[in-house]
Amino acid sequence: MRDQFKEIFYQVVTDTLEALAFIFSFPEDQRDTIDYDSALTTSVSFTGPFSGKLVMAISKQVVPGLAANMLGVDEETSLPQQQDALKEVVNVICGNFLPTIAGEHEIFTIDVPGVISNADQARFLHDGKPTSVAKIKLESGQADFYLFIDGRD
Amino acid sequence: MAFNILIVDDSSVMRKIIIKSLRMSGVPIAELYEASNGKEGLDLVNQHWIDLVIVDINMSVMNGEEMIDHLRENLETSDIPVIVVSSEGSETRVERMKNQGASFIHKPFTPETIRDTVKKVMEGSNERSI
Repeated sequence: MRDQFKEIFYQVVTDTLEALAFIFSFPEDQRDTIDYDSALTTSVSFTGPFSGKLVMAISKQVVPGLAANMLGVDEETSLPQQQDALKEVVNVICGNFLPTIAGEHEIFTIDVPGVISNADQARFLHDGKPTSVAKIKLESGQADFYLFIDGRD
Repeated sequence: MAFNILIVDDSSVMRKIIIKSLRMSGVPIAELYEASNGKEGLDLVNQHWIDLVIVDINMSVMNGEEMIDHLRENLETSDIPVIVVSSEGSETRVERMKNQGASFIHKPFTPETIRDTVKKVMEGSNERSI
């Protein structure tokens, strides 16, 4: 069951990145976690039949290209646009993933996503064991996704 | 006839993606209005003639479902076509919004999906009373 859960998690992550930001990604399960000093981290919480949060840490150098792809522009994107793009990615992944594990008829409330500061990045790492982790390789970087479900590890 | 379209989404990036998709789609656009939550959206609906509302669900201050409820409760806005664009996956919630007369586009979407849905919705709304 846990393997199946993880497989679905990877599928939603890679499908969303491809469809939303035209970024191809590959599972990289065996590597260490991303270097958080060189990453931007966003998080979104949810409540419903179960509660928790989804956290995404992505290499900083990937973000300008990701935002530009989403916006369909060639010029440089601003930091707020880049942060907004990351928040939208984590929001869409969360929205697509929850029904696959909870069932299509369950209703969740997904909070507004936020950017996690460097100081808080360290805290979330010690904030319980994630229920599922997806580590992926991107063309010019990496991304880690952590799913925390309250009461489950 | 060109349409006045209101886009309500708390993500400025998503609003721009929707606008780009609309412009690419060939849908005749008169004015585009943007709001970052349902309350701002309702304020714009009260200030301008709006032919179509495209709205997200999960937003702070006022979410998309509440905004649709307010639109439907008001006689002057009850027949404005609404398309919900969201990553919402609950069939129960989607059905609830369809029962409110809204169409639904799932995120992530393609520009073709936006084009096809807008055309379908606007073709069916030609008789909206002024």
